[in-house]
Amino acid sequence: MPAFDSPASLDDEQAEALEALLLELADDEYVQAERYTEWQVRAPTLESDLALANNAQDELGHARLWYDVLEDLGHEEHELIYEREPDEWRHSTLTERPFDDGDWADVILRHYLYDVAEELRLEALEESSYAKIADRVGKIQNEEAYHREHAENWMERLADDDESSERLQDAVDRLFPHALTLFEAGSADLEETIVEAGFRDASLAELREEWLSIVVPYLDELGLETPVSEIIQYDDYDLEVTDDTLPEVRGRDGTHTEAWEELHAEFTNTYRELERSEATKIMAKPE
Amino acid sequence: MIWEVFRQEKEGEYHTHCGNVHAPDREMAKQFAAIQHGRRKPTNNMWVVPKEEVGEVDGEKYSFGGTTDKSYRWATGYNVTADDASEVVESSDEQEDAERRRSEVA
Amino acid sequence: MDLDTVKERAGPREFSPADDLPEEYRKAATRMIEFHANSEIMGAYLERPFIREAPSIDRKLAFSAKVQDEIGHGQLLYRAAESLGVKTREEMLDDLANGDGKFLNCFHYPMEKWPETAMIAFFVDGAAMRRQATLRRTSWEPYAHAMDKVCFEEGFHVKHGESILAELMNGSKKEQEMTQEAFETWWPRIIQFFGPTDEQSTHHGFASQVGLKQKSNDELRTAFLNQYIPKAEKYGLEIPDEPRIRENDEGNYEVVEDDLDWDEFFTIAKNEYEPGVGQINGRKEAQEAVEWVRETIEGGPVPSGNQPPQAAD
Repeated sequence: MPAFDSPASLDDEQAEALEALLLELADDEYVQAERYTEWQVRAPTLESDLALANNAQDELGHARLWYDVLEDLGHEEHELIYEREPDEWRHSTLTERPFDDGDWADVILRHYLYDVAEELRLEALEESSYAKIADRVGKIQNEEAYHREHAENWMERLADDDESSERLQDAVDRLFPHALTLFEAGSADLEETIVEAGFRDASLAELREEWLSIVVPYLDELGLETPVSEIIQYDDYDLEVTDDTLPEVRGRDGTHTEAWEELHAEFTNTYRELERSEATKIMAKPE
Repeated sequence: MIWEVFRQEKEGEYHTHCGNVHAPDREMAKQFAAIQHGRRKPTNNMWVVPKEEVGEVDGEKYSFGGTTDKSYRWATGYNVTADDASEVVESSDEQEDAERRRSEVA
Repeated sequence: MDLDTVKERAGPREFSPADDLPEEYRKAATRMIEFHANSEIMGAYLERPFIREAPSIDRKLAFSAKVQDEIGHGQLLYRAAESLGVKTREEMLDDLANGDGKFLNCFHYPMEKWPETAMIAFFVDGAAMRRQATLRRTSWEPYAHAMDKVCFEEGFHVKHGESILAELMNGSKKEQEMTQEAFETWWPRIIQFFGPTDEQSTHHGFASQVGLKQKSNDELRTAFLNQYIPKAEKYGLEIPDEPRIRENDEGNYEVVEDDLDWDEFFTIAKNEYEPGVGQINGRKEAQEAVEWVRETIEGGPVPSGNQPPQAAD
C-alpha cells in the first residue's frame, strides 16, 4: 500500500518535495512536447511527420496527467502554464533548446536521450509512495515503449551515413551537457526528501548512472563520441559531474537558456492577448 | 513460399484478406489464388503478397491509439451539436462506433 | 478504354488502377486530387503555429491532432493521386514547393490571431466536409477510399472548430469583437471556397462527365450557406452586408457574385497572391531543410523478409 493517498497525509516538507518532483516531471514533458510540435508540417516525410506529432501528443498528455496531480496541491492549469514566470519552470534545459532549420539529427538525438531517461525515471516511480503517481505510471509506460524504439530506429539509420552521422555527432556535442541536467536536483534538500518519502525510489545520482550505462555504450557503438567518454570508466558509470560537464544554466533551479524566454512568450501569447483567466478543458479530469 | 491473398468482391470495395496459397513464384501464386480463393465467392480483383514481406504490429506489444486519454481526437469529445450538418453527424456517428469498438477490444 | 466508354460507365467508385484509362481522365483526376492533397498540406502549414498558441493543454492537443490528421489526409490523397500513374508524390510535393502546385484559396491568406482559427476550423472545414462527403461517390476508387477515411476523421475537426467558436462568442466582449472582426475578414473568402459559378469554372464540365465530381460548385455553395448562415447567427455573428446574400423563392440562399473580388481569387489561383507566395516559400524552405534526411533514407528501406522482392509485373 502506498504510504500517501492524499495531500492531507503529507507534512510541509513532503508537500514541497512532492510539488518539486511533479513540476520537474510535468515541465519536462510539456516543454519536450512544445519543441516536438515545431516539426509538424516540417518533418522529412509525411509519415515521419505523423509519427513525431504523435510523440508530441503523448508527451503533452503525460504532462497533463502530472499537472493534474499538482491540482491536489492547490494548483490550477492556467496558473501553472500560463501565469507562471519563465524562471519558475523546472524542466531540464535539454527540452528547451531550439532547433536549427532542418536539424532532424538534433530532434532524434534529443528524443533518444530523453526517452531513455524517461523510461528509467518511470521505473523508479512505479512503486511511488504517493498513490496517484504510482497509478498513472503504467499508462504512460505503455506509450513510452514505442518512443524509445522509434528513436533508436532513426538513430541507427542516421548513424549509418557519413553526412548524417556528422550531424548526429554535432548534436551530441551540443546536447549531451544539457541532457545531464535531467539528473540535477532543483534543491538538494528536497531531492533527499523525495527519496526518503519514497515518492521516487531511486536517487537522481542512481538514475544518472543507469542512464549513462545505457546511452554511452549505445552512442559508442554507433560511432558517436560523448563529451564524457574519457572520464567514464566503462564498468563504472559513477561520473562525477563537475561544472565543466554541465551547462551554465541547469533548468531545475529555474535558470534557463535564452531560447526559453522566447518559447515561453510564444505559448502564452494567445492567453495573454485574450486576457483569459481560465484554461479550457475539453477532456474529463483524469481519474 | 507462402503468399497472402486479398480479395475485392465488388468494384469500389476494399481488398480484404481471405487466405493464402503456397506457390514458387508470383505468377503461379496469382493463378493458384484465383482458383483457391476466387472460384466461388464473388470476386472482382485480387492481390497476392509474399508472406515474408508482411510486417506485423501486434496489439499485445503496441497499444494502438495510446493508453492515455485521447478523447480530444474524437468528435464525441466535444459538446457542440453540429446536428444541422448531416455529413458532420455521419462522421461523428462513425467515430462513436469506432470508439466503442476500440474500447471493446481493450 | 476510350473516353466515351468512361463517360458512359462513370459511376461511383467505378474505375481502379486495374482499368486502362485514357490520359484525359488520368490527368483530370490527378489535377483534382493533387489540388485536394496540396490543400491539406497548406492548411496544416497555416494552422501549425496555433498548436503553440493554443490557450490550454486540451486545445493544444486538439490542434496538434488536427494538424496531424491533415498531414495524414495529404498522405492518403497523394497516394490516391499517385495511383493514376501521372505524377509521383515526390513530384507533387516538389511542385507545391516551387509554386506550381495549386491549392484552396483560403490557405493563401495569412492567419495571425487565435479567433481566426475558428474561421478555418469551423467554416472552411465545414465547407470542405460538405464537398468531401459527396466525393465518397467519385469515380476514381482510390480517391473514394481516401475520402472514407478523411470524412471519418473530419467530424472531429469541425466540432473542434465549433467548440472554439462557441467559446469565443460566449467569452469576453473583447473576444466577441475579435471574432466578429475575423469573421468579416474571412467570410467572403469562405464563400469563394466553392469557386465561381459553374458557367465560369474551367474544369467543372469534364470532371462531372467522367464522374470525378459529384456535385456542382453552385449546389455545394447553396447547401453550405443554408446550413452555416443559421449557425453563424446562432453564435451571435453578424453576417456582413457584402457580399449580398438573398433568399430565393425556394428558400435557398444565393450570393450576388459581383460583390466578390474575383480578380483576387484568380490571382490566388495562379499562386501570385502575395501572402500566399510567402506561405508557399515558407513551406519550401522547410522542405529543403530536411532534404538531407530524405537522401539518407532514400537508399531505401530494405525489406526484412528472406525472399528478395519479385520484379514488378
